[in-house]
Amino acid sequence: MTIASILTIVQYALAPYLWLIVLAAVVLLGAQLIARLGGYRYLRHKSAVANGLALVAGLSGLAWIPAFTHSQLAYVATTFDWVVMIAAIIGVAIFALLVFHPLSYLLRARH
Amino acid sequence: MSRNQDSSHDLSRRRFLQLGAGAGTAALLTSTGLQGQTVNTRAHVVIIGAGAGGMAVANRLSDRLRGGRITVVEAREVHHYQPGWTLVASGVWSPDKTTRPNSQFMPPNVDWIRSSAAAFDPDNRTVDLANGDRLSYDYLVVATGIQLNYEQIEGMSADLVGQHGIGSVYASLEGATRTRDVIDQWIATGGGQGIFTHAPTPVKCAGAPLKMTFTTLSRLEASGKRDSFDVDFFAPGGGLFSQPWVNDFVKQRFDEQGVQRHHFHTLTAISPQDQQATFTQQDGSSITRDYDFIHVVPPMSAPDAVRNSDLIAKEGKFTGNWLDVDIYTLQHNRYPEVFGIGDVIGAPLNKTAASVKAQAPIVTENLLAAMQGKPLPRKHNGYTSCPLITSIGKAMLVEFGYDLEFLPSFPFIDPKEESWVTWTFKDKMLQPAYYAVLEGQA
Ligand SMILES: Cc1cc2nc3c(=O)[nH]c(=O)nc-3n(C[C@H](O)[C@H](O)[C@H](O)COP(=O)(O)OP(=O)(O)OC[C@H]3O[C@@H](n4cnc5c(N)ncnc54)[C@H](O)[C@@H]3O)c2cc1C
Repeated sequence: MTIASILTIVQYALAPYLWLIVLAAVVLLGAQLIARLGGYRYLRHKSAVANGLALVAGLSGLAWIPAFTHSQLAYVATTFDWVVMIAAIIGVAIFALLVFHPLSYLLRARH
Repeated sequence: MSRNQDSSHDLSRRRFLQLGAGAGTAALLTSTGLQGQTVNTRAHVVIIGAGAGGMAVANRLSDRLRGGRITVVEAREVHHYQPGWTLVASGVWSPDKTTRPNSQFMPPNVDWIRSSAAAFDPDNRTVDLANGDRLSYDYLVVATGIQLNYEQIEGMSADLVGQHGIGSVYASLEGATRTRDVIDQWIATGGGQGIFTHAPTPVKCAGAPLKMTFTTLSRLEASGKRDSFDVDFFAPGGGLFSQPWVNDFVKQRFDEQGVQRHHFHTLTAISPQDQQATFTQQDGSSITRDYDFIHVVPPMSAPDAVRNSDLIAKEGKFTGNWLDVDIYTLQHNRYPEVFGIGDVIGAPLNKTAASVKAQAPIVTENLLAAMQGKPLPRKHNGYTSCPLITSIGKAMLVEFGYDLEFLPSFPFIDPKEESWVTWTFKDKMLQPAYYAVLEGQA
C-alpha cells in the first residue's frame, strides 16, 4: 500500500468526524494555551482530581467506544480487539488528562 | 455534471495526493515491469460501466495513458456503495451514507457518455449504445456488474420488495431500505415465520444472504422474543459458503441459533398475496411454505447486453451467463483486446468489491502490456473477501482465493475468529478503502 492510498483512506475515514476532531483540538489547545499563559507547567502542577477524571474518562470508553461503532463490549473478544480497545482507552485518558490538568491549575489559581 | 465542472477542490486534493505519493513512496516502492510507467498510445479504450471495477480501471488507466482516448459508458449519476446495503437493511446505517455522485470519482480526462451499452459486436470492435450511438474501440473493458433476475422466480419482481413481507437486500438502495422496514414490521408483530434464501447461481457478495440472516437473528434476540420467531434457511445446494471452513462454521452457528436449514431447495415461485413461497427440491418435487417475512436472493447473471453478445462464455460452467475471460489474466478468451473486471466475469468466486480491488491493477497492467504487444505480466489469484457479520457488532474477516485457502491481509486478525475490530473495519473503514479503490489509489 502506498502513502497515497493510506492518505486517501484516512481522509475518507475521518471526513465525517472532522467537526469532532476540530472541536477536540480547540478544547485541548484552548485549555493548554490559557493555562500556560497563566504560568501552568505540566510537571510543576499536581492534581489528583485531574488524574482521577482522566482515568474515569478513559474507562468510560468501555461503554461508549463499542456503541460508537454500533457494537457492544461483549463483542470485544479477541486479543487484538483488546489491544485496540486498551489503546483507545489510553488515548482518551491522555486526551482527558491534557485537558483536565491545565483546567485544574486554572481553577486552583482562581481560588 | 462532469468532474471537470464541479470538483476542482477534489481534483487539487487528488493532485496533492499524487504528488505526495510520488515524493513519499519513491524510496519505498520498487517498480516492477510496467508498474507506474506511462504508455504512449493513440488507442481508444472504452470502459462499459463505472461501478467499482469500471471506475477503478478508468482512474488507473487515465493516469497511465498518454495520447490515448478513454471513453466511459455509464448511465448512472449516483455511485452506490453496495457493501453498505447490508448495514442499511439491518438498520445500522442510514441509506444516504451509501451514495456519492459519480462525478466525484470520474477522472477529468475521460469522455463520460451517460448511456448504457445495448449490444456488443466484438468482431467489428463496436458497441451500440442505448442512446442510438455506435462506439468503436481498440480496447474494451467490460465492467457492467451483475443483472438481478427476479423474474426467474415465478410471481416475483423487484417492485414487490417492501410489500407482503418480502425483503431483498440486493434489489437496490431503496430495496435495502424497504427490507429494513419490512423486517422492522415483522419484529413488531412479536412472532412468526421468517424465511431466508440463497440463489442457485453465483451471486454478488455470496456472504450477504448469510449476513442478513445473522443480523436479523441479532435483532430478534434484541427484541427479547426470539423464541416466538421461527427462522428457516433454504439453500439450493448442500453448502452455504464456498470456503469450506466458513461453510462448516455457518452451518454450526445456524444450528446453535435455532435456524432450521433446508438444503437442495431452490426458491422457484412466490405468492405475495398469500405470503407463500414454493421451493423446488433436487428430485423436481416442490414444497410450499407460509411466511411472515422472506428474504429473497434472486438468480443473477451478466446483463442481457453481454449475455446476448459473442462476449459471453460459450463453453464450460459459465456458458450463456458470464463474460468469457481467463480467470487469471482477466483477458477475454477469444477477443484479446477485451478485458473484464468485477461481477460480470465468469469466475468461480470473485463477485465482491474486494476482488475488484485486487483485479483493477491486474486489468490495468495487462491491458497496457497488450497495447504494447508484450506478454501479460500479472495474474489474479482469485482474492475475494467478505467481512462475515455474525451479529450486529461482530464479524469475521474472511479472505481467500481460487484455491479456497485463507489469504489474510493482516497477520494479527485471525479469519476464524469473530471480532469487534473486524466489525469496526466493516462499519468505519471499508467504505473509505472502497472509495480509494475507485480513485485508483488502493
Ligand atoms: C447487498 C450487497 C452487499 C455486498 N457486500 C459486499 C462486501 O461486504 N464486501 C465486498 O467486497 N463486496 C460486497 N458487495 C459486492 C460489491 O458491491 C460488488 O462486487 C462490486 O460493486 C462489483 O463491482 P462491479 O464494477 O463489477 O459492479 P457494480 O459496482 O455493480 O457496477 C456496475 C456498473 O455498470 C453499470 N452498467 C450495468 N449495465 C451496463 C450497461 N449495459 N452499459 C453501461 N453500464 C452498465 C451499472 O450502472 C453500474 O454502475 C456487496 C453487494 C451487495 C449488493
